[in-house]
Amino acid sequence: MSTAADRPLTPIRKGLISEPIDSPEAFRLLGSKCGTCGELSIGTNAVCLNCGGSDLSTVRLSPEGILWTFTIVRHAPPGDYRGPKPFAPFGLGLIELPDGVRIMAPLEGDIDTFRIGARMRLNLKVLDADSPAPLAAFSFSMIG
Amino acid sequence: MSDVVILGVGIHPFGRFDKSAEEIGAAAAQQALDDAGVKWSDIDSAYLSRMYLPATSGARILRRLGGTDIPIVDVEAACASGGAALRQALLAIRSGESEMVLVLGCEKMPRGFMDPSMIYAPWQVQMGMSLNPSYWSMRARRHMYDHGTTEEQIALVAHKNHRNSVSNPNAMYRKEFTMEQIMNSPLVCDPIRLLEICAPNDGAAAVVVTTAERARKIGGRPVRIAACVHSIARYSADFRCPADSMSATIDNPGPTEVTAKQAYERAGMGPHDIDCFEVQDTDAFCEIEIYEDIGLCPRGDGGRFAQEGHTQITGRHPVNMSGGLISKGEPVGASHLGQVVEVVAQLRGTAGPRQVADAKRGMAHVLGAGGNCAVTILERL
Repeated sequence: MSTAADRPLTPIRKGLISEPIDSPEAFRLLGSKCGTCGELSIGTNAVCLNCGGSDLSTVRLSPEGILWTFTIVRHAPPGDYRGPKPFAPFGLGLIELPDGVRIMAPLEGDIDTFRIGARMRLNLKVLDADSPAPLAAFSFSMIG
Repeated sequence: MSDVVILGVGIHPFGRFDKSAEEIGAAAAQQALDDAGVKWSDIDSAYLSRMYLPATSGARILRRLGGTDIPIVDVEAACASGGAALRQALLAIRSGESEMVLVLGCEKMPRGFMDPSMIYAPWQVQMGMSLNPSYWSMRARRHMYDHGTTEEQIALVAHKNHRNSVSNPNAMYRKEFTMEQIMNSPLVCDPIRLLEICAPNDGAAAVVVTTAERARKIGGRPVRIAACVHSIARYSADFRCPADSMSATIDNPGPTEVTAKQAYERAGMGPHDIDCFEVQDTDAFCEIEIYEDIGLCPRGDGGRFAQEGHTQITGRHPVNMSGGLISKGEPVGASHLGQVVEVVAQLRGTAGPRQVADAKRGMAHVLGAGGNCAVTILERL
């Protein structure tokens, strides 16, 4: 997918996002599934972070999950944060996917409405949308 | 195996000072030498615990004590740096390579949130996942959900630690706050508030470590190192790596539980044999979880345990008599050795208004980035 000005999106981290980034509907995060111990972690890895095995396969992760825990970030994060300016408080949470992994992600939506157990859905989040090199990142929002 | 002891301790107060790392570090080191009754030229090797100071800081600071050719090594393991450095001293002495070792912790840090490029990947920073308290807060939120822990119980820990710090000349804030002030202080990351978290700052602390035999010849008031253990979090066992994903299927014990268990085994004692504790209260909730991880109370009961007053100085299991990091601040490289200085004072009976009655054994615990955890258990001889 491209932005309005037809600039191609660059994944915020190589191996984290399914490519090509065709449409928000087809957008998925990638994970590495270990053929030895069965553990799953996000991104494409060469070695299983649990057992050290190298029999890994890349899988497309489920786009829906449940909010496992969350917080509200009320101060601008330090360093090279690419969120909106001026800063606005936002949710940050761990979303448990049915695949057996919990993903750390920013949360979209009203900061007063998040609750543990809520159903969540993955979004394509474009950072630096007005720059020559916009980034494809991700977030989750509550369903319903 | 012969006993290894801490013979001398020194500290430069934690706070913000218009002084260089060399000044505050050398001051703490000299104080530890004086307290041990030894000279800089008696030291065989030295370690500097630090995270934010630049390369070769150990040599830069310690050459202020006079010319030397001993090995001086900088040690880094995030918030557990001091434990990692003290462990190196223990190993050096047990190996017979050294008989008298100086361990200095020193840090000089900017105000505000810590520089995220040290521990986060660039994409985590760009997406806004680089605020340390957000991870602690997510653990607090889940603990509240699972175990009914309350915001009031979390605030009670902050209240205790701020109050304890009033009589600690080495703490930064030294101010008692009411529960109302704590619970109305601004949210940093829900549910954790400003008066419930520690701030990075400047500080230094040092210890002189030697054999029990050598200490006997010198005299003074040595304290035995019963255990000094450092480990990192197992797979998916801690948020503080900082994690980008966690397993939903494997529930490994956290680094504090694992490290404390090893320390108890090496010391040949359990949590109820220990009279006082200094632990990593980077935020007030963290201390509640540590009560459970070090075995002071069952899993999930930490909030109630705090509320029942067991961890007050006059309680059954006093925790953070010094005021903890919440009131001292956290000069990362110096924090564990600062805890050790407090525990040594408790075991010598010189802690003044903070003194735990007849303290014979004490624990110091730190936990931070990379899931680095260190536990030191000290015992009065």
